[in-house]
Amino acid sequence: MKHLLRHNAPLALGVAAALAAGIAAADTPPEAPDTSSWKCSQCPFFEGYDAKVEVGAMYASGANASYGRYTGIDHTGAYADVAADGQYRSAEGNYASYDLEDLGLPSREGYVEGGHEGRFDVRLSYDGQPTRLYDVAVTPFRSLGDSSFGLPAGWVAAGSTAGMTQLQASLAPITLGFDRRTVALSGLLLAGSSWSVLGEFRRQEKVGTDFTSASFLTDALQVPQPVDYVTNSFDATAKWAGRMASLRITYTGSWFQDNSDTLTFANPYLPFVPGSTTGRLALPPGNNLQQLSAAGNVQLPWLATTLTYSASLGHLQQNAAFLPASTLPGATMPAPGSLDGDVHVSQYMLGLASHPLPKLSVHGHATYDGRDDATTPLTLAYVVTDTFPGGSFVTPRYSEDRVRLDGGADYSLFRWMRIGVAGELHDIHYGPGQVLTWSQDAQSWGYATIAPVAALSFTLKGGNAARKTSAFDAAALPPAENPLIRAYNYAPRDRVFFSLMSDWAVTATVSWTLEGFFADDDYRLSQLGLQSAHERRASTTISWRPRETLNLYADGGYQTYDYLQSGYSGVATPPWLVANAERFWNAGAGAEWLVSQRWRLKLDYLHTPSYTDTDITLNGPPQAFPQNWTRLDRTSLEATYVRSSALQFHLRYSFEKFDSSDWALGGVGPATIPNLLALGLQPYRHSVNLFALTASYQFGKVAAPKSD
Amino acid sequence: MDRRCGYGLAAALALLAGGAAPALAADAPASPPATYSAHGADTCLVCHNDAGIMALFRTAHARPNDPRGPFGHGGLQCEACHGAGAAHVKAHGKQPAGIVDFGPRAVASAAKQNGMCLGCHRTGAAHDWDASVHATRGVACAGCHTLHAAHDPVRVADTQNEVCTTCHQTRQTDLLKLSHHPLREGKMACTACHSPHGSTAPAQLVHNTVNETCTACHAEYRGPFLWEHQPVTEDCDNCHEPHGSAQPALLKVRPPFLCQQCHEGAGHPSVANSPSGLPGGTPSAFLLAGGCVNCHSQVHGSNHPSGRALMR
Repeated sequence: MKHLLRHNAPLALGVAAALAAGIAAADTPPEAPDTSSWKCSQCPFFEGYDAKVEVGAMYASGANASYGRYTGIDHTGAYADVAADGQYRSAEGNYASYDLEDLGLPSREGYVEGGHEGRFDVRLSYDGQPTRLYDVAVTPFRSLGDSSFGLPAGWVAAGSTAGMTQLQASLAPITLGFDRRTVALSGLLLAGSSWSVLGEFRRQEKVGTDFTSASFLTDALQVPQPVDYVTNSFDATAKWAGRMASLRITYTGSWFQDNSDTLTFANPYLPFVPGSTTGRLALPPGNNLQQLSAAGNVQLPWLATTLTYSASLGHLQQNAAFLPASTLPGATMPAPGSLDGDVHVSQYMLGLASHPLPKLSVHGHATYDGRDDATTPLTLAYVVTDTFPGGSFVTPRYSEDRVRLDGGADYSLFRWMRIGVAGELHDIHYGPGQVLTWSQDAQSWGYATIAPVAALSFTLKGGNAARKTSAFDAAALPPAENPLIRAYNYAPRDRVFFSLMSDWAVTATVSWTLEGFFADDDYRLSQLGLQSAHERRASTTISWRPRETLNLYADGGYQTYDYLQSGYSGVATPPWLVANAERFWNAGAGAEWLVSQRWRLKLDYLHTPSYTDTDITLNGPPQAFPQNWTRLDRTSLEATYVRSSALQFHLRYSFEKFDSSDWALGGVGPATIPNLLALGLQPYRHSVNLFALTASYQFGKVAAPKSD
Repeated sequence: MDRRCGYGLAAALALLAGGAAPALAADAPASPPATYSAHGADTCLVCHNDAGIMALFRTAHARPNDPRGPFGHGGLQCEACHGAGAAHVKAHGKQPAGIVDFGPRAVASAAKQNGMCLGCHRTGAAHDWDASVHATRGVACAGCHTLHAAHDPVRVADTQNEVCTTCHQTRQTDLLKLSHHPLREGKMACTACHSPHGSTAPAQLVHNTVNETCTACHAEYRGPFLWEHQPVTEDCDNCHEPHGSAQPALLKVRPPFLCQQCHEGAGHPSVANSPSGLPGGTPSAFLLAGGCVNCHSQVHGSNHPSGRALMR
């Protein structure tokens, strides 16, 4: 000890000086007051009830699936615009409230809640989330019920779509889309000042028609896919929060059920082998996850240090019955009859955040994430696309151990400058049967936040990262895979990145924010696969409030994403090179204006074009694909007329136009491709005028503040 | 340790300590220690009574029957968050000593503001706050939360995204792309995936890993499948860009090129797909419609005994 002190005396002195400065300047908490005379007689605590009802109508002209993707406004016509909310609260602390929105649309949502302040709360909620897919889809397949699709009587099978003479006559439109409906019941019980218990049961249904595709050897087809998913989940948490520590223990159970987990379809082509007239897909099987976790923190009594911890153990299972290996006559179900899938997931984390000096903070985490697939690999004789036997293969299982160490330090160098350094080391150890045994991504960065004046601050961050890997085991690649390929997530990579975030109150009425990001990725050791990627992003907003009643703003953004990848078709041709360049813009402006006590106006305009250019170099100059582009223009105007403190009218108009071009879809009809019977999906496009007029009425009775 | 090096380090630490003093002075309480007002909120509300402030009484912070809240029995009311205010009252509001103010024009430092919030919330919702990115960047709680509003915009799905993208501006641009989660439609909030108060997961996710976060809603991809696709089990982000993409299905890169970043097997996986495969030439199923997924549709995994190539 003496030796240590003698040789490190200067260091010890420095530390002592630093700590002394910190301790000397530490806050002295004020004495707790006697609050017995604090009556809060002027406090207008909410007591009584109030409610608001909005009733009106919307009319959408030109709406389609593209426009109504997540709102459900998917056809021309009128829609009810209804919403309501309200609350009741008693002097004793009993309360009830509700909030219902978009009741006239599939995107309706709402909750009702009740409880007693500081004791318990019960809440029932509903959330509807429509997803509309493509607007144009046609198919000759007819539903036979029970997730089975057949072809109409008189169908003429052929070797290619051109020979399907009954195709055009058989095409019928189908609506693609589904609704996600979630009902949740939750409860909270507060026990004393430290304990609380939360529980939530949630049932989510996803019901509708999606689409999928399949093949018979070299002939493929797109076919509607019924979706009938149910996920029930339950969470229960017990929390303890003391003055210096906390702990929460949570159980999570989630059970996914697919009520139509197979899809059978007729073969519209001439079968390659006798009997190959039907195909069958296995759709997502039911599964369940059960997880137990504990997390919390401890305030340590020195250097303002917080220790955080968490541990989580989970078990993922799947044991749905297998289908027969094919639809061919005589095909049998493999043994065993189901997977008995068994995956263990775990996470352990320890974190520390400390302020060893008033101007210095340090923090770090050590985390372990494990995914251990304990499922027994099976050796299965498989049949290629319900056509002919393909041999026997062992099902691969993928396990990983991840260790992540991150840490950093931040220091207020000057009153106007804060600097920091940080790093992260992310190790992945792959289980057996993978091409790598490990990869390691080491990342470090530094930043400075500079605020030369109180109104302006900007943060500059820059760093680099290097991903290294173990030796590549080409023998673990699937048969016939090129041993020179380096999969994106397995490839060594060098990365350089910078970012900027700025916030400037230019004047008392003008503010400006900016964010930018720059990253270059280099996969210099990959002979085939992704070679490089470059990403640039910048967005900004400026707002001006010339007076209290008027706010004007403008925003814009620009992003690019470029990548280069190579491939190799065979010895007869040199490697090919694909270059891709994406450009995305957005520009908008708007105003919010309180014209008078009776009138409020909002105006917003948005313009967002995007362009994607792709070319491929084979034997000669680059060949360019047609440019893919999208263009969204939207103008909206909202006016509110305040008739009285209780009655308001809202008028809303918006015009939205979206157009796009996509070489993968444009002009691809059901028979365009000889060996793909397609649904004829076309790029998104819409031009919609939306008018809405609603009246809202507020009513209720709120108690006045108490007075002495 | 080399003695010169030691003295250098000592000097550096002394400099740190010296530098610390002014910063502390700015936030240090007046001497003698601050005291509370005589009548609590009744004192404050004499002056601070405009509608914006009084909206607090519509919020969870102003529940008189909640013993855990600042307005519960024995609570410090306004001064629970704003600090002891006797000096401020004595100076007729001109002397801010001891008072902690909040918001973008606050005099109090972010650390001082957050200290008031964390006094109650550190062992609750913000239990991993201290090591979070927001904390280390000096973000104030009031930078996101509007405490006196009846409905705090950052706690409402419809408006939360506007609050987050005030700083994360480029994410606002992402949300405008062709393929996006329903955030701009108000049907989803950033906090469905991210925990802004800190978390043990990368990118401050709400669940332990990217995949656990994604499959909380997309449970159909959770598996385990009979035939697994390795990048799917490893990380959904290997193929998807969840904040928005110009490509369909939130893909980072359009098929077939996305698939060819990993697959170059003999035969069709390595085919150089050129514009000659478009409808004007010899339309190719490798390139058009779904590209590779025209046949390999079960890319997330297959439970079919013959699903080895993810085609059944």
